[in-house]
Amino acid sequence: MWVKQIVMALIGLSAGSIVAGGLFGFVVSLGIVSDFADRTGTANRIGLYEDAVAVGGILGNLALLYEFPLTMFSPFLGLFGIFSGVFVGCWALALAEVLNVFPIFLRRINVTKGIGFVILGIAVGKVLGASVYFFFGW
Amino acid sequence: MSVTKEILYIKGDQNVEVKSQDVTLGDLVSMECAQEHVLSKVKSLKFLKIPDQGKHRYVVSILKMIECIHKEYPNLEIQNVGATDIIVTYEGTKQKNRVWEACQVTLVVITCFIGAAFAIMAFNNDSGVPEIFEQIYEQFMGKKAAGFNILELTYSIGLGLGIIIFFNHFGKKKFTVDPTPIEVEMSLYENDIQTTLIAQSSRRGQELDVGKTNSNGSHRS
Repeated sequence: MWVKQIVMALIGLSAGSIVAGGLFGFVVSLGIVSDFADRTGTANRIGLYEDAVAVGGILGNLALLYEFPLTMFSPFLGLFGIFSGVFVGCWALALAEVLNVFPIFLRRINVTKGIGFVILGIAVGKVLGASVYFFFGW
Repeated sequence: MSVTKEILYIKGDQNVEVKSQDVTLGDLVSMECAQEHVLSKVKSLKFLKIPDQGKHRYVVSILKMIECIHKEYPNLEIQNVGATDIIVTYEGTKQKNRVWEACQVTLVVITCFIGAAFAIMAFNNDSGVPEIFEQIYEQFMGKKAAGFNILELTYSIGLGLGIIIFFNHFGKKKFTVDPTPIEVEMSLYENDIQTTLIAQSSRRGQELDVGKTNSNGSHRS
């Protein structure tokens, strides 16, 4: 019996560490955190930001798997929503940026001016899309 | 005032921040010359005058600096071993607001924390990690899992380990001397920004280069 437990423990450990490497490598190489640090001019605090990502990842995983009751944090539910929204919004656009979507499209359709409006359009579209998704319960 | 054929080596970083409005060559590049007095003279040559205390950014060609040195020492041979285009930034005299900076840091920390928590939750949920664990447990033990088991526990430990090993540090404690992944990403990002600034300024003809009379830098917004 304990052999099976050990094998399962190995599975769990390996799965966890590989998922961590994959997911957080993805988050970092999309450059979301370094973008934040650059926009706010606080590149000297990168260590702190990395710690925040690490702790967030560990606690978020525990909270989801073990279904911890978080009722004492209920006043901060809106905070969770808005910050996770900001993060995912940056993530989505960073992904498009890494895949060179914008330069390629803008070059193909010969757009050189009004790139700001293109970005605005994407943002409004994302917000509308998310609203429709949640409103109609897709 | 001709000198014997001496060689002056100059080396500049691609990105220089200046503090005073009178910019000398010594502020922009480091240099080395066998003749001490030439070196100190060249270092103190005035190169650029920043017109007001606002934020300014210039892109300067190294040729412009060489021209500036040649005006004083026409016979000096100059070897550039550094960048060929240098971004000069003047941040103005305004002090950075500490409270505002603390607010920004807090906001970024919260976004990173909650964002990472959300990302791992979304991943676990999307790939059905709890269901996979349930199935693995059942296949191994031949019965349904009653509550949580070793899989969740070790997965969580593995995840924590993986994250910390990936980021290569926790708090102040670093595990190897390598820079952390975000530090690497940050320096790549800064390189991209510098390349873009130089390309933009040379496309618009704003670069301070030889054969041009312009001296107006771009106003930073």
